[in-house]
Amino acid sequence: MSEEPKVPIPELGGAVVETGGETLYQCMQCGLCTASCPWRLVEGDISRDFNTRKVQHMAMLGVEGYETEDILFACTTCGVCVERCPRECNPIDNMRVLRAMIGESGSVPQAYRPVIGSLNSNGNPWQGEAKDRTAWTKDMDVPSFGEDTEYLLFVCCTSCYDSRSKKIARAVASLLNKAGVSWGIIGEEEQCCGEAVRKVGSEETFMTLAEHNIKIFGEKGVKKIITTSPHCLYSFRNEYPELGGEFEVLHYTQLMDKLIEEGKLKPTKDFAKKVIFHDPCYLGRHNEVYEAPRNVIDSLPKAERVEMDRFGPDSICCGGGGGRIWMETPPGARFGDLRVSDAVAKKADVLATACPYCTIMIDASNMAMGKEEMEVLDIAEMLDQVT
Amino acid sequence: MAEKVGCFVCTGCKIGDAVDIEQVLSVANESGAVVAKSHEALCSKEGLDLIKSEIESNELGGVIIAACSQRDHVDTFRLPNVFVHRANMREQMAWTQPPQEEDTQMLAEDIIRMGFGKLQFTDIPQPEDVEVHNRILVVGGGVTGMSAALNAADAGKEVVIVEKEGELGGFANKLHKIFPKDLDLAAYPEPDVDALKEKVSGNDKITVEFNTTVASIAGAPAKFQVELKNGSGQKTINADSVVVAAGWKPYDATKLSHLGYGKPNVVTNVEFEQMAKDGKIARPSDGKEPESVLFVQCAGSRDDDHLPYCSNICCGATLKQITYLKDLNPEIAAYVVYKDIRAPGHYEEVYRQVQKQNAVMIKGEIEAVEEGDDGKLNVQATDVLMNEPVFVETDMVVLATGMVPTTLEEDVLNLAYRQGPELPEREYGFPNSHFVCFPYETQRTAIYAAGAVRMPMDLATCIDDAAGAAAKAVQSINLIEQGLAIHPRVGDASLPDFNLSRCTQCKRCTEECPFGALNEDEKGTPQPNPTRCRRCGVCMGACPERIVEFPDYNIQMISQQIKNMFVPDEFEEKPRVVCMVCENDAMAAIDMAAKNGLKLNPFVRIIPLRCLGSFNIIWVADALSNGIDGVLLLGCKSGDDYQCHFIKGSELCETRMGNVQDTLDRLMLESERLRLEHVAITDYKKIPEIFDSFLERLEELGPNPYKD
Amino acid sequence: MSSQHTSVLVVGGGIAGVTAAIESAEMGREVFLVEKSPTLGGRVSAMNQYFPKLCPPLCGLEINYRRIKDNPKVRVFTSTSVEKIEGNKGDYSVTVKITPRYIKDSITDPVHPFEQLEATLPDEYNYGLSKKKPAQIPHEMAFPFKPVVDPVALEDESTKAQLEKIDEVDLSQQVEEMTIKVGSIIWATGWKPYDASRIGYLKYDEYQDVITNVEFERLAAVNGPTEGKLLRPSDGREAKRIAFVQCAGSRDEAHLPYCSAVCCMASLKQSTYVREAFEDGEAWIFYIDIRANRYESFYRKIQDDEKVHFIKGKAGGIERDPESGDLFVISEDMENSDMVRIPVDLVVLATGMVPSTADDKVPMDGLTYDDYGFLVANPDKAVYPVGCTKRPVDVSASVQDATGACIKVQSN
Repeated sequence: MSEEPKVPIPELGGAVVETGGETLYQCMQCGLCTASCPWRLVEGDISRDFNTRKVQHMAMLGVEGYETEDILFACTTCGVCVERCPRECNPIDNMRVLRAMIGESGSVPQAYRPVIGSLNSNGNPWQGEAKDRTAWTKDMDVPSFGEDTEYLLFVCCTSCYDSRSKKIARAVASLLNKAGVSWGIIGEEEQCCGEAVRKVGSEETFMTLAEHNIKIFGEKGVKKIITTSPHCLYSFRNEYPELGGEFEVLHYTQLMDKLIEEGKLKPTKDFAKKVIFHDPCYLGRHNEVYEAPRNVIDSLPKAERVEMDRFGPDSICCGGGGGRIWMETPPGARFGDLRVSDAVAKKADVLATACPYCTIMIDASNMAMGKEEMEVLDIAEMLDQVT
Repeated sequence: MAEKVGCFVCTGCKIGDAVDIEQVLSVANESGAVVAKSHEALCSKEGLDLIKSEIESNELGGVIIAACSQRDHVDTFRLPNVFVHRANMREQMAWTQPPQEEDTQMLAEDIIRMGFGKLQFTDIPQPEDVEVHNRILVVGGGVTGMSAALNAADAGKEVVIVEKEGELGGFANKLHKIFPKDLDLAAYPEPDVDALKEKVSGNDKITVEFNTTVASIAGAPAKFQVELKNGSGQKTINADSVVVAAGWKPYDATKLSHLGYGKPNVVTNVEFEQMAKDGKIARPSDGKEPESVLFVQCAGSRDDDHLPYCSNICCGATLKQITYLKDLNPEIAAYVVYKDIRAPGHYEEVYRQVQKQNAVMIKGEIEAVEEGDDGKLNVQATDVLMNEPVFVETDMVVLATGMVPTTLEEDVLNLAYRQGPELPEREYGFPNSHFVCFPYETQRTAIYAAGAVRMPMDLATCIDDAAGAAAKAVQSINLIEQGLAIHPRVGDASLPDFNLSRCTQCKRCTEECPFGALNEDEKGTPQPNPTRCRRCGVCMGACPERIVEFPDYNIQMISQQIKNMFVPDEFEEKPRVVCMVCENDAMAAIDMAAKNGLKLNPFVRIIPLRCLGSFNIIWVADALSNGIDGVLLLGCKSGDDYQCHFIKGSELCETRMGNVQDTLDRLMLESERLRLEHVAITDYKKIPEIFDSFLERLEELGPNPYKD
Repeated sequence: MSSQHTSVLVVGGGIAGVTAAIESAEMGREVFLVEKSPTLGGRVSAMNQYFPKLCPPLCGLEINYRRIKDNPKVRVFTSTSVEKIEGNKGDYSVTVKITPRYIKDSITDPVHPFEQLEATLPDEYNYGLSKKKPAQIPHEMAFPFKPVVDPVALEDESTKAQLEKIDEVDLSQQVEEMTIKVGSIIWATGWKPYDASRIGYLKYDEYQDVITNVEFERLAAVNGPTEGKLLRPSDGREAKRIAFVQCAGSRDEAHLPYCSAVCCMASLKQSTYVREAFEDGEAWIFYIDIRANRYESFYRKIQDDEKVHFIKGKAGGIERDPESGDLFVISEDMENSDMVRIPVDLVVLATGMVPSTADDKVPMDGLTYDDYGFLVANPDKAVYPVGCTKRPVDVSASVQDATGACIKVQSN
């Protein structure tokens, strides 16, 4: 305990409520969020210092003590706390608002500065050029979204610019073609959905991106969107409507599930492996899609699907959400390691996932832990192999 | 005493298999039975027909039903105009003893002999009607008193409310709003105080005496002579029963200077409520609206230096008062420093809703409240949620102080009872009762407490509590009018008779009666008040001269049972123990032991008592002088968490045991021949061990030298 | 032409119902006490002790049963449920259904004829932790003290055949319907424990040694599945280290939003069980607020016990070590700015009370229930909920309530 007493400034707490942290004061300080947080499952400074409940309390009081990178920017927005909070508080919203307030005072973490800069100038967080947004389509038959096109395929920036991740985009595109779906992409004009940058507190950047996307989607007559990333799914489904962007949004696994059921996709080649599915936070907890990806895996001929002990709503975050895909997390503190262990415990051959962040983070852990006998694959890749 | 006794022995439920029934019947005949018969199922229609026809043809005055426990088939064996003794041949013999053995036979025969001994000194009590006034006195005209009065009036009684102020409403008059404000919580409907006042004033069965207090209450239930006193004089009214609804006072905040009380802008929750009611929430120092208010919970509560208990509603009151602030101006900052937020049941929703109005909740301890600039308070506290000290500069501090029953310092009844003017206290000024199972049963018959004078409670609960006390007040009149006892021996028509010519004015009965039923004259002679009596028999047990007797429960009845026991001589090596059991728990425990197939020592003879408090030490002399080797007493535990339904029966028995053990020592008889064991009703598994261990000790001591 | 009845129907034979029935009768009313199980006593008869006096519930019940036995104005109907209520205040026709006991009325010995039967059915009295015989007296303090055949037993041919061989059994008995006329109704159907399997992260379904407070109460009771010895269900080992997880599914918008008011006191009480049973017994209580409102001195006594630890933090997870068999409770420990992972033998979830009326409504039109399913009093119809039918309360408040209801019905 420090010597200097803290002096509450309730107006600060009020400000959080006004700017999006409506549930801040509902908190009864039970500590379930802190106890459930994945940071409890790893070691290190952040684990020691980051306490969700305490941040809420300090925010309610309007005192300092949580603004450091290790604390305020530790949250991966995985959603377990939101799922379990008995008062229906949303610590994620509160965290986001607090980050925004810090951001306004100029204290954005160093790691995010290039990300924000890139979004502002190139419309993506990966310092890639806008014109390279469609580079993944090379040598592929990828239609453009037109007047009569049913589905817009919105490819996550990560799958546009990261080489490993591009394979996911290509797999999804291939499947859509195989199924004969009416689909197309927009390409260069698109910008990042903005989900992650909003979570790190850059409200202004998010607004700019969202308003831009809504405008061009509207101009092109987009009604239905398929996303390759659950983060884009989240943003389009939950954040765009109040800004005027109302679309019917599906994650690609939801569409694939339907297409398989309708017989439009026919998995024929064998996939005789033990497959274990990692529920991405933004597909499972945030959007409640649990069945579709499992149905797709079950459709792979000869595949044996097993479950991790911590699955479904209890799935553990890969560590990439909330902006942390751009942060350095020290060894011993990486959530991805936990997922690899969970999968290895069940002797899985393949760890399947359905989110580009998860693929990157868990793959990295897999390599670092030397468990390369187990492959980390996105569902699209697996399905494309067998159809 | 029952002149003609018939004995009916059931052979069902394994009783017939356990012993030689013919032999049992001949013992009955030897004991003086006019008729002695057995039947395979006395509880059947045929069995009952047999009993009834024998009663009629032989004009029997008493019957012994030697069958199952008196706790079973109560309805079946309810026979009018004849005294029924239930001799327990089933649980106390057939189910707990090995069949067809000599000791089992001896036990069965003793059970019969003892039954005859009991009937020798038993009369059927005849209840005497008591004239009643059908009037209930309600002390206190607050929400509790008004509600009780209305309930009683609805039940057809006349009610007199004695209110010391000039208006009804009590503390509720000082409330700005009653919570849960604005929430549609059906379980807690907002009491409409004005409607209550109107109903009371408009009810022609209810009279309100304003500005009046009770100067004294003499007499007894159905015969209370209540002297009322007000500014202009005195008057006396009659009442049958009383509801004490005298309410509460706030804890004296002048004792809370360590929390800042005494500084101009530190007020209590009661004072803050007054401000709200007056429409002027403002700092006392300068009349300005506060920009922030800090509430200190448990101010002088849960604190050994002040009120050790929790007043139950101060958390709710603070939550309510926060809504006053936010209604006035949502920008006013509200802080609460608390130990626990006690918002049980539906109040959790109140807590949640008030929190949403941006209440800043700090779990922690107040370290200091100092005066700052301009009348502000500088509050230093330790915030447990961050484990940091906090410093809050606030415009006002509200101390959430607790509730003290009026009766802690004031006498509201002034009973002209030998044992004192008020209801005996359990703790902190609240009246004693068997508060878990029988919360209304105070130690004064037909006097019931309700509302915050009974324990701290909110208004909605006060209204419910008032109904309960009113129900009891009405019910007690109903029973007393018929000459019957109230709880716990409801319906008991027997009354103790005091043969005062032999009284030596030792004052034990008047002091020990748990219910203060006996007054005393100047010499110390007891003055019985039958309608106060609960028929426990503590007076009978206390009296060294044995002047107290009930028609169906008296010294000789027990003595004769003891004397009728057949005591084998010392060479038989068959010791004898008489075991007196409280019929409310130990006897039931023995029944349950039997049901579970446990076996009991065959040398023990059981005599149920109404309460261990009715145990008279003469019975020890009776037992030992008849050669019985030991006397065992089984009853409930005493102390703060007492279980005795007569409050202190077992405690009194323990004290008397101490006295008699001195006597035994002087007579050169081992004091260990007398033992008291605490048995709760669920201790049935311990009974065999208790019996065996006592018999083991007696074996070590050797046989009673007074055996023939 | 309708008549005015002054009789009272009390539905539910737990502590509130029994109290309402006997207090009403002693005020001079005729009372019909209807209980759907074969015995009175309700959930309190399955408790080991009451707080704060740590006294046996059967003690108070014994006095009440005696008052009922002595009072012909109370007519007790067990194995009886209310099917339909028609009419109005002062003139109700209540249709009840009486399930047969399948035991002959002429039975004398209620215990020994069934000794040879094996215990094969789950025993609800012990919350399924043990088995009962297809025919037996429900428990030691059953009122009435009569045996009953569980109708479920008749679904199994061989059990049925065994029963048919017993003289005292009569399987030809039929369900009966009866109509009772009353003037007012007291609804005292009490509560059921919240289903702990709905709280996924507390692993009630997964680990045998995570049990609820009502189940623990049975372990501690002398007539329970372990005869009062604190042995854990999975391997029978002594449960010397016990964790109590407060607000398990209570004060929770996803489960029971309200507070059940008694679970804090229940856990404090239960901590004394482990301290009594083992000299080195230890308890950890994980809490948000300790709501010992009316019994602060009892709380203080427990706080003074060094081996009872109070940890402010809502437990967020339970883990199990397959080798040692230990369970670990994960929680924040706010007062010490720490996270803890405490190894224990047994975890007791302090689950809350759900009113029976949340699912089983009164078969009568025009009554209202609050958001949580508690019944709202309707004086115009002379229908009064008491005890936990009205709001979550302890025994003392249930009795208070039930007593008060007796005078509320007097105004008919």
